[in-house]
Amino acid sequence: MAFRKSIRSRRGRRKIHKDFELQLTSMMDILVIILVFLLKSYSTSTNSFSTVPGIKLPISKTDNSPPDSLHLIITPQAITFESNRIVEFVQTADALNGNEPKYDLKTEDTDENGMRIKLLFSALEEARNKAEALRQKSPARDKDGNPLPFDGILAIQADKAVKYDILRKVMYTAGAAQFRVFRMLAMKQDQ
Amino acid sequence: MLKRPSSRRRSNHSEVNVNLVPMLDALVTMISFLMYTMAFLSLTMVESPLPMVSSEENQQQLKEPPLQLTLTVNENDLLIWSPFDRIPQTTIPNTTDKDGNPTPDFLKLHDALLEIKKQFPNETKLVLMPKAYSSYDRIIGLIDASQHLEKTDPVIVVKNKETGVDEPAKTLFSEVVFGNLLGDDK
Repeated sequence: MAFRKSIRSRRGRRKIHKDFELQLTSMMDILVIILVFLLKSYSTSTNSFSTVPGIKLPISKTDNSPPDSLHLIITPQAITFESNRIVEFVQTADALNGNEPKYDLKTEDTDENGMRIKLLFSALEEARNKAEALRQKSPARDKDGNPLPFDGILAIQADKAVKYDILRKVMYTAGAAQFRVFRMLAMKQDQ
Repeated sequence: MLKRPSSRRRSNHSEVNVNLVPMLDALVTMISFLMYTMAFLSLTMVESPLPMVSSEENQQQLKEPPLQLTLTVNENDLLIWSPFDRIPQTTIPNTTDKDGNPTPDFLKLHDALLEIKKQFPNETKLVLMPKAYSSYDRIIGLIDASQHLEKTDPVIVVKNKETGVDEPAKTLFSEVVFGNLLGDDK
């Protein structure tokens, strides 16, 4: 049966005229419309900030495109620095009572009255040392001939639900590692 | 110019078929390139410097006490104040969002800060003091309301420090600093 069908279909295929031409005009129209739309809404980014799945960024009205810098991501579950997961939070007991789950740092992960995150501090210090070593080797110098100072800029990308308590511990730790400027990332609001 | 009837009869009406395949190839390639290089996630940033402690000598050198505009986030309201009493305290009660949850009244905050900016046009600093439970979303909203000037806002003229020329202000309070990084609140 299947054999007969295949013969029939092959015969049917032969019926197509040799001078048959596919009408491409309508397809061209669609493609041109897509192209115009893409060109209109085209935007490129000069930074290489990645994100993690599931993170919900807040929306901001500002229009400052963030330049490349060291990048820290805070999700409700963990802290990631330069694509390395540094600290994982623990779930507090609130979730057991049917409330919204809350996350906090483990006591052994912090020092200085729970303000400095130890593993994050080590990672930030290492990044600063690396950046300073690169600047020493770089031919770029200031007017006195010294290597350019460490800029100390840290881009922070946090989930909109992350609490200030965690955020300030991160900023405190970064401040201890001589980071002086924090760039808080958000999604640009459509104009 | 009109053609003679005889030449019109002689005109060639044969159908011309334009080969669209190369054009189609070019379009598909361009669309693929654009879609590959396009930044679908459009990021923006708000900048905040690490707070610095000013020395007593610096403070004594000032002719008059600084404004040190401070915005404290309380559970039910926002408080705008100055530690040196340069402005009267303003309390902005929370409002509700579209889901009925309490949220800071960003519009009223913006209007109140706009009035302060009119009084102190050259002031650029604002000390933000959120509570430990304030969410990142709220903090970004507060910084936005404190920094961003809307197109509908009245023009505030400020003196350019470098050129000394008067020009319209581009931002409200551009330097937002966190005043309680050391964690003196819960």
